[in-house]
Amino acid sequence: MSGTGDLLLNLFRDAWGALVGALVAFALLALLSQTLKSASGMALGAQDWVRDAVAGGIGVLALTLFALLGVPALVEAANASFPNSAGCGPITELGSLAVRLLGGLGALRMLKATVTAVMSAAVGGQGSLSAALLEAGEVVLGMVVASIAVPIAIHFFGLCSDPLPPGVACLIN
Amino acid sequence: MFNTALEAIQTIARDAWGFMAGLLVVVALLGGLFYSLQGTAGAAFGGSKMAGNAILGVIGLVILVMFAFLVIPELGTMLQNLKPGAPF
Repeated sequence: MSGTGDLLLNLFRDAWGALVGALVAFALLALLSQTLKSASGMALGAQDWVRDAVAGGIGVLALTLFALLGVPALVEAANASFPNSAGCGPITELGSLAVRLLGGLGALRMLKATVTAVMSAAVGGQGSLSAALLEAGEVVLGMVVASIAVPIAIHFFGLCSDPLPPGVACLIN
Repeated sequence: MFNTALEAIQTIARDAWGFMAGLLVVVALLGGLFYSLQGTAGAAFGGSKMAGNAILGVIGLVILVMFAFLVIPELGTMLQNLKPGAPF
């Protein structure tokens, strides 16, 4: 089971590296395209284009910085919210594998959302930032709910007599 | 598997970068020519506001082109250095 988990995690890590590389490439292209739009606006005397291009460029930069700095911090925080020992015996191994895979998938999903948002912003799309933030929030909420659900399910099925983690026990009581 | 996809994306992105950089130079040159014409016309007919706008426009275009060719590559280097490892 551990070998399968490592294989999947290596695949996720490869995907993470590829997504980050693509994000940087798309962000630079988006910045250049916004500069081109701004220069065209200036040459034609279209002030709205210049204004839109400046706002779009700042948006692309903010989204990219969020993806490169914010997403890893969010994923690490969400991973830390999972209980360390969510069960006894074989369920512990299964639980830790599930936790690692959930963290990896969540990180990839958040990064994918921000890459989509950068690409959308590059071509002047609207509402992309809110969609990316919504997806990121959804992922974090899902991970936190899973961190509560796993220990409760284990105790419900009587697979473990160890006490529940303090936060979860507090929620139930 | 993903490295192959990334290399393909980067090849396309490099092509797109070259195309857009060339287009930016063309647009900036045309804009500069337009502003030169406007400035010359303003100077010829005594339109000081036209000449002033033309000079400002040329300066703006030069700043934009310098931003594109000097600042964006530096931003790219900065973003490359910020690339995070997988947090899982």
